[in-house]
Formats: sequence, structure tokens, C-alpha cells
Amino acid sequence: MAELTSKERVQKLFNREAIDRMPCFSGMGTVVIQAIREMGARFAKVHTDPELMAESALKSAELFGLDGVVVPYDMATVAEAWGRGLTLYEDSDDILYPTVPNKWPALEDVDIPDNFMAMARLPVVDKAFEIVKKNGLAVGAWVLGPFTLAGQVIELDILLKGAKKKKDQVEAFLGKLTDATITQAKHYESLGVDYITVREMGSGTDLLSPRMWKTLIQPNLIKVFEALSIPKVNHICGSTDMIVEMMNECGADAISVDQKNTLADSREKLGNDVLLLGNFDPYGMLCKEETTPAEVEATIKKCIDDGVDAVWPGCDLWPDVKQENMEAYVRTVKEYGKKASPAVGRM
Amino acid sequence: MATKEEILEKLKEAVVEYEEDDSREAAQEALDSPDLMTPMEAVMDGLAAGMEEVGRLYDTHEYFVPEVLMCADALYAGLDILRPHISKEDAKMKAQVVIGSIQGDVHDIGKNLVKMMFDVAGWEVHDLGRDVPLEQFVEKQLETDSEVVAMSAMMTTTMLGMKKVIQMIKEKNPDCLIMLGGAPVTRDVANLFGADGYAESAGNAVSEGIKMISRLREFQAGMKSEG
Repeated sequence: MAELTSKERVQKLFNREAIDRMPCFSGMGTVVIQAIREMGARFAKVHTDPELMAESALKSAELFGLDGVVVPYDMATVAEAWGRGLTLYEDSDDILYPTVPNKWPALEDVDIPDNFMAMARLPVVDKAFEIVKKNGLAVGAWVLGPFTLAGQVIELDILLKGAKKKKDQVEAFLGKLTDATITQAKHYESLGVDYITVREMGSGTDLLSPRMWKTLIQPNLIKVFEALSIPKVNHICGSTDMIVEMMNECGADAISVDQKNTLADSREKLGNDVLLLGNFDPYGMLCKEETTPAEVEATIKKCIDDGVDAVWPGCDLWPDVKQENMEAYVRTVKEYGKKASPAVGRM
Repeated sequence: MATKEEILEKLKEAVVEYEEDDSREAAQEALDSPDLMTPMEAVMDGLAAGMEEVGRLYDTHEYFVPEVLMCADALYAGLDILRPHISKEDAKMKAQVVIGSIQGDVHDIGKNLVKMMFDVAGWEVHDLGRDVPLEQFVEKQLETDSEVVAMSAMMTTTMLGMKKVIQMIKEKNPDCLIMLGGAPVTRDVANLFGADGYAESAGNAVSEGIKMISRLREFQAGMKSEG
């Protein structure tokens, strides 16, 4: 049996063609502290330098044998390009992701620059894609969904209360952000990435009712996915049991959910033709002091038995992974993932 | 003239139905009826009781975060009228709390809901805001000698920072109580830290924050008996 390259394995998975084994990859930030240490770099530095960003992604994949690389690692790139500032926490010894310090005070103040993809660190990310693409691994890009992006640039409570009290205004605002999300996603598509994950992470039913999700989130996600022609993943974290069927109506090639989703039920609701990705807790499994490799193995096996087509972490990998737990995760995906999954056969 | 029960019910209803004007009106009615109830009773058995009902509605998926935020606005509408009239004695305690979202965390919905619970209980609240450097919690606690430090962390990133703040505060002031997110009040640091490993969304904080009303009541009862 011929062994596929990492890139082929991921591409075939998205095409639902038979593969040799389940690829071990993610659609979200996948950088580990072991790689940063080996580079002699500091975490705060990898977000602003394309070489460090690319190298840390590639080295993380190489150290643990992952099939894909994903950049960037923080959610502030677009908001920063829109003039909302950036906090890098360069003086902190802890691992802190960059954040956005200044939100627009009101919906009326929002002013999105035309050529934002050429501003702030977005060209840094482009350069990092250029570097990681030269490797044989699958390359994943991600963008925030319109609602989550909105939460980066405007106070969430304005948005949430506005969704009830100023529905038209909030809908018009989200329409603008949908255009921005499409601009960014299409830009990454033009750079030749292999797949793209749209992370509408703040929209689970911990926050919004299924009814509000249908009127406020779904129409915009449909527009985003319609605009893209490469493999695309609809990712939402938090509670998704009540909206997983609506997620599947958005037109993505795959659905990704986190550990709060009852995956076996979702598989049953969606049937065996839908690509389903998920759903282990990256912090709890890979970083938590008490979690043993045996527990990691059991959790990964459960994800596969519940019916995922590829095991994805529920969110970004938290960089401070335990070596032996990370190894157990990758090993189990590769070994236990030799059998066919519901939507993807084996060679 | 309205009875005590009717006024309390109106306050509760105003919070549950997120009617800010009704909340103000009922709060004024409570103030105008000093023979029927104290302002503190109006807060605890009217507004706070309404928020407890909101918590129930949230848990049963009838309400989601947008509704909870609007209910909180209605609660504050009434509270702003009642609070100036609550005497220190009536509040039965003079406790202070330092509260904030920890460095690296720009979320504050959860923190604000927890803050609301302290406001309801009549505490003096020192709100440091969000993305607060670790040392600031320690400095503010020492400066104010606050009984409680409440830290919110919505993301894994910031969970680890909390451990450091707890150590720094406990070194200097072992009696200070530390609350993490919506965790129960306890003096056991290890238990505190094990309270919640990974609360990615605001949902957990909302639910826990609301549940804190009753915990705060128990806590106040405890402090009263200790003091």
C-alpha cells in the first residue's frame, strides 16, 4: 500500500477520497513550546516576524509528526490592521497571545480601511504562508467569522444587546464584516493554501439562542462559504449540539466542533456523508499536569469511535503541551485512525 | 397602595422582563414605602431574586446571553436608585472586593456579571477592568486591605497567571479570600485553582456568575458569624 504525503492525505480527506490513515492536523493555531524553545525564541516574538512565525509552525509539525501547518496564532491581525492597536505582552514571562486593546465605542464609529490586507501584520502572515508552503505539509489558513470578528472590534455587550434592540443596525454592521471576512479568506485562497477554517467561535449557544444563530449568524456564514472554492471548514466552539444541523446548512466542506459537542449524536443527526472534525479539549488533554498519556489515548479513541473523520482539537493548541501527551495524541490518531471513518474510506 | 409582596414582585418582574423603566419605578415605590421594607430588602428580595430567576432561565435555555445582559441593565436601573439609601448598617457589612479580568484576557462579560453580584450585596467594588497586569491585583489588595480578590479568566492563557497572583497575595496576606471566575468561595487555594480548567466561552461565566448570588449570601452569613 502506497503511503501518501501529508499534503495528499489532507487534500484527499477533504475530497472524501480513500486515504491510508487519518491525517493528524488542525485548522487552528498549532504551535508548541518545544518548538519555540528549540529555536531559542520567545513566544511574544513569533507573531511579528514572518520567519519566526513560519519556522515555529514548521518545527512544531516536524517535532511531533503532524500532517499540517497553520499560521498565524493570534486573533488580532485584522483588528490591528483596522487601527484597533495591539498588545504583545513582550515583557511577560508567560505565554500570552496578542490581544486588541481598543474597541470602537459604538457601531457608528466603525470605519474599515479599504486596503486592510496590506496593513499592520497581515503582510507578515502572507510572508509566513509563502515560507511554510515550500514544505510538503498541508497548509491551513483560518479567519474569524463575521460575528467573532465583530467581537474583536466592538464591545460584545453592545453587539449582543444590539442584536435584540437595534436589529437592523447590527445586521448592517455584520454585513460589512462579512465582506471583510470574505476579502481576507479569498486573499488566503489566492495564496494557495490547502484549506481554510472559518472560526465563528463566539457564536455557540452558550451565548446566542439557536433562533438568533439562524437569523444573525447563518446567512453571513453562507455568504462566506459561497465565496470560497478551496476546502473550507465551519468551526464553532462551545455549545453546538443545538445548532450543528444549521452549521451543516452553511455550505462548508466540513464541520468542526469542540469537546462540548455530543459528537456521536451529531454524527447521527448529520449522517455519514458529512465530514466531521473534532473534538478533544486541547488544554485538558495535552497541557494539564494530571492528564496521563493513557487518558489522552482513550479520549482520542473516543473521538474516532464517536465518528470524526479527523481528530481536531477543539481550539488552538495551548502551546505549553506535555511532550508525552502530545506524542500519545499523534500516535493514537495515526494508529487508531487506520480504519475508515464515516465519510472517508481507506486505500 | 401596593403591598410589600407586590412591590418585590414588580422589581423581580422588571429584571426578568428586562424593563429598565419598570425597575426604576418599582425601586422608587420601595423607597417611598419605608414602613414596608428597607432598601436592602428591595435589592435582595426584589432585584437579586429576579436575577436568580434569570439564572434559571439561562440554565434551561430559555434565555441566552443577550437577554441576561439586558436583565442586568434592568437590575442596575433599580439598584442605582436604591443603593444610595442603603445604610452601612443595613448592608450588615463593610466588605471590599478587588475585581478584574487578568492580563491577556480582554473579555469582561463574565467579570461584569460577577461584579454585579457584589454591587447587589452592597460591597465596595474596586474594578480594575480587563487585561490587568498580575501585580495590580496584589497592589490594590494591599492598598485597600480588601477581603476578597476576584479574578476572571476566560481563556486558558490567563488561567496560569491566576496561580501567580494567588501566590503573591497569599504570601503577603494569607487571610485574603480569592475567587476565580465563578468558583465557590473557599480558603483552599488548590481547590480554587482546580475549579475550572477551560472556560472558552462567556457561557460558563454567565451561569456561574449568576449562581454566585446565593453563594455571596452564604458568604455574608459566614462573615457575620465569624465577626
